[in-house]
Amino acid sequence: MGKQVDLLQGTLEILILKAISLGPLHGYGMLLRIQQISGERLEIPQGSFYIALYRIEHKGWIKGEWGESENKRRAKFYRLTPAGARRLKSETEKWSQMTDVVNTVLCATPEQI
Amino acid sequence: MIFFAQLRSQLGSWWSALVHRTRVDNDIEAELQFHIDAHTQHLIETGVSPTEAARRARVEFGRVDVQKEKYRSAIGLQPLHEIGGDIRYGLRSLYKKPVVSLVAVFSLALGIGATTAIFSLIYTALLHPFPYSGADRIVNPAVINEEHPEVPTWFALTPPQFESLGKAKSIESIVGFTLVGLTATGEDLVEDVRAAYITSNASSFFGVPVKIGRNIQPFDVAKGMPPSNVVVLDYKYWQRKYDRDPKVLGQSLQLNHENYTVIGVMPQRFAFTQTVGNADVYIPWTPARVSHLFPWIKLKPGVSLATANAELQSFLNQFKRETPKHFPAAFRVSVQPIIEPYVHRTGRTLALLFASVIVLLLIGCANCSILLFASGESRQHELAIRSAIGASRFRIVRQLLIESLAISCGGAAIGVVASFWLAELPLRLMPDAFAQEAAITINLPILAFSVALALFTGLLFGLSPALRLSRPNVSQIIQGTARAAAGTSKRMLNLLIGGQIALTFVLLGLAGAAIAGFMKITSIQPGYDPHNVMAVDIPLKQDTKKNQVERATYIDQLRKRAAAVPGVLSVAVASDASLPSPPFAGMGTQAPFEILGGQSQQDLHAAIYLVGAEYFATLKIPLVKGRIWDQTENRRGDFVAVVNQTLAQRYWPKGDAIGHQIRAASLKDDGTPLSAASPHSGEWRQVVGVVADSRNNGLEQPTAPAIFVPYTTFMWDNTQLLIRTAGSPLASLKAIRTALHSINPEQRTMTEVFELEEGLQRQPIWIQQRLFSILFSFFAFLALALSSVGLASTVAFAVTRRMKELGIRMALGAQRSHVVWIVVRATLGTVACGIAVGLLLNLSLVKVIQHWSPGSVSAPWVFGTMTLLLLVCATIACLLPARQAASLDPMKTLRCD
Repeated sequence: MGKQVDLLQGTLEILILKAISLGPLHGYGMLLRIQQISGERLEIPQGSFYIALYRIEHKGWIKGEWGESENKRRAKFYRLTPAGARRLKSETEKWSQMTDVVNTVLCATPEQI
Repeated sequence: MIFFAQLRSQLGSWWSALVHRTRVDNDIEAELQFHIDAHTQHLIETGVSPTEAARRARVEFGRVDVQKEKYRSAIGLQPLHEIGGDIRYGLRSLYKKPVVSLVAVFSLALGIGATTAIFSLIYTALLHPFPYSGADRIVNPAVINEEHPEVPTWFALTPPQFESLGKAKSIESIVGFTLVGLTATGEDLVEDVRAAYITSNASSFFGVPVKIGRNIQPFDVAKGMPPSNVVVLDYKYWQRKYDRDPKVLGQSLQLNHENYTVIGVMPQRFAFTQTVGNADVYIPWTPARVSHLFPWIKLKPGVSLATANAELQSFLNQFKRETPKHFPAAFRVSVQPIIEPYVHRTGRTLALLFASVIVLLLIGCANCSILLFASGESRQHELAIRSAIGASRFRIVRQLLIESLAISCGGAAIGVVASFWLAELPLRLMPDAFAQEAAITINLPILAFSVALALFTGLLFGLSPALRLSRPNVSQIIQGTARAAAGTSKRMLNLLIGGQIALTFVLLGLAGAAIAGFMKITSIQPGYDPHNVMAVDIPLKQDTKKNQVERATYIDQLRKRAAAVPGVLSVAVASDASLPSPPFAGMGTQAPFEILGGQSQQDLHAAIYLVGAEYFATLKIPLVKGRIWDQTENRRGDFVAVVNQTLAQRYWPKGDAIGHQIRAASLKDDGTPLSAASPHSGEWRQVVGVVADSRNNGLEQPTAPAIFVPYTTFMWDNTQLLIRTAGSPLASLKAIRTALHSINPEQRTMTEVFELEEGLQRQPIWIQQRLFSILFSFFAFLALALSSVGLASTVAFAVTRRMKELGIRMALGAQRSHVVWIVVRATLGTVACGIAVGLLLNLSLVKVIQHWSPGSVSAPWVFGTMTLLLLVCATIACLLPARQAASLDPMKTLRCD
């Protein structure tokens, strides 16, 4: 297990959107997928995970529907709504711009200035 | 777009969270349970033992209930959810002490009901009485005669003038009308019908839909066509004559021998001609039917009265050059919003009523505060526990305020229902004072007012107990050592009770003054005997009896024929329609007169009455000195006069009035086509008699100087008979009408007759004082009841609180009377302070009340009586619960808790 990273405020929402953009998932599945993709480096507090989930469902970016899980249990599966897809796109752009800028600043060497 | 999609989704999740609460809760629970189970499974797969895995999954996740709460705060519904809980809890705790809650709810219901009632009355009578479209812009275009500026008058316009006035820039539209007395012919008894000839744009001007049928339309008087003979009935006429029969449509109505077809009926609230006289029927106006019009104007939005006055003045100056007789010699225009006369008539009354119901509301609020304080003491334990387990002060205050809001909303709901009935009361008691269009309905502004009132009162009476109780002394209360009712709440209680008593006293003082005033008015002797006397108006046809002698003979003939009817005791002519007191005295306004050889020839004014010789006998006005003119003098009209005592004493204080000469210029023949005067009407007349005073200037005013001259001196196209009968005068009315008819089949009498006794009771001061007496007594009674309840509950509360102490005292041998005294002592002290403050308030309000309700009498004996009444009630209210204290069993009280 690599070194764990604390989650930046507000990024959990994008991660959830991203996780289900790859296909409908239930809450636990999302949690696993995010951790798995991050290479187990992200520790997501389970309590705040559901708050974020409900908040973005309330905003209409994702939509939950009851279905059956891999081990034949009733579970709520979430999928991305068109609004959510747009949101994911704009947030991703914003995020990469942001990291780009921050990286540029941080990686600046004395010669570049 | 995105914003709306998001909004829709948010509203959707709120809706389901609120409405399908259980389902949403279950869903969340199921989802979270699935999460925990999946996590457990996952841990087991990584090699953890099942028990340990389940434990760890739970620990990592936290409690499911907490998650549910988090869900609600995630979608922003947490506060709502908490408030929902507070409301349920609040209602439950109100339900647990039903007596206290009911008393509180009814205390407020009385206050809110009364306040809403008066507010809806103000709304209906002053803010929004008229059903017409743009009613706030409709004005009476009155002119003020510079010589008599106190009375605004109307003016008539010729059709071309009417046309041109309609083009004024400040005028949006203009309607013209003329009221004319017509005769309903074609029936066995001819009857007088008041017709309003009205321009054909009336329907669009007023925007009031007809009750049934259709309204007058421009095509009824289309150019180049003969005007159609159609008539729209007024509601009251429809009710009186046709008993509200809808089949009247299409029937024909004969007026002045001409047939008109009934095409519609106006609704009850349509009564626009009221300021000049009620109309029975509306007929389309044409220049052929009547030559002139009175205008009613709707101003354009945003045009000020001053602008309108200035513009109309220039129009009217031009009109005066064309038709000088239609306008006073010197005048200015003063357009007046149609609400103005009613504001003038009832504004003060309503303001005073509103002030008094506010006082009543405050008393009700004080009652609720007292009850909350009293019952709050017993809740300190509960609140201390809540506070100890972590409830914030905000939560406790919110909880308590929600309880008081529940009380105030309950009170408001009952109050609004009651107000509907109460608001009708003044309209019924003061029928002539309000616009006939006014009708009480429960509508949005009034409901909004009562809801606002409920919230306001809930906060008002709930806040101070809530703040006080939300700071429990946790450690002491839980250990049970707290001396209940710390100083602050006791002081607060005393303040509330004292305030309540003071305000109640103010209302009692008002009621007492109003009743005393009313008693004074009813005990006033008018100076004549109004019992079983009625006045019948008799219009005389313009073309008949043109010359003075003929007309006088005709009138005398009518009088004699009426006097011959069985049951009639005596009949007198009073041709200027003025009876000894208002509202009729308005007709006999004071006119100047002169005394032969008198020193100052100016500023002598007296009411001049044109009456028959029988007038004094019929009204039982005693002759003090001299004689009344005889029949010959009566026929001649000239050279004689009778004066009243006030006039005689003012100008001939030595008592030598008889034989002096007086004259009045207003009796001169002014040549108007409708009048007929005796040859020497304006010349010197000898005072032949002095009669006793009778009230002729309003019941509450001193008698004005009066001169009586024979009616034959000056006659118009109508006269009036005063008829005294043995029994109820109205019973003989039909016989009298038939008798008058036998002289001249064309002779009509006005439909409305009035009995003098009733006339007295229709005087504004009489009506207003009766209204004040009834309403103020009602309010004061309510206030007294409320304060008594407040007092009784304070004493009862004190008894419960001091039960242990009282038990000890009794066990040590205290007398029962002594125990009672201990309990009521403090409260009676507060009551005494309240009464003292109330008395001071009353005394300082005397001037204000005299201004707002001039008929009231604020005499010391009134305040004395009211103090006594209040003291008696307060003592009873204190003693009832205190007696309970005296009947305590010391053993039982000592054993409790």
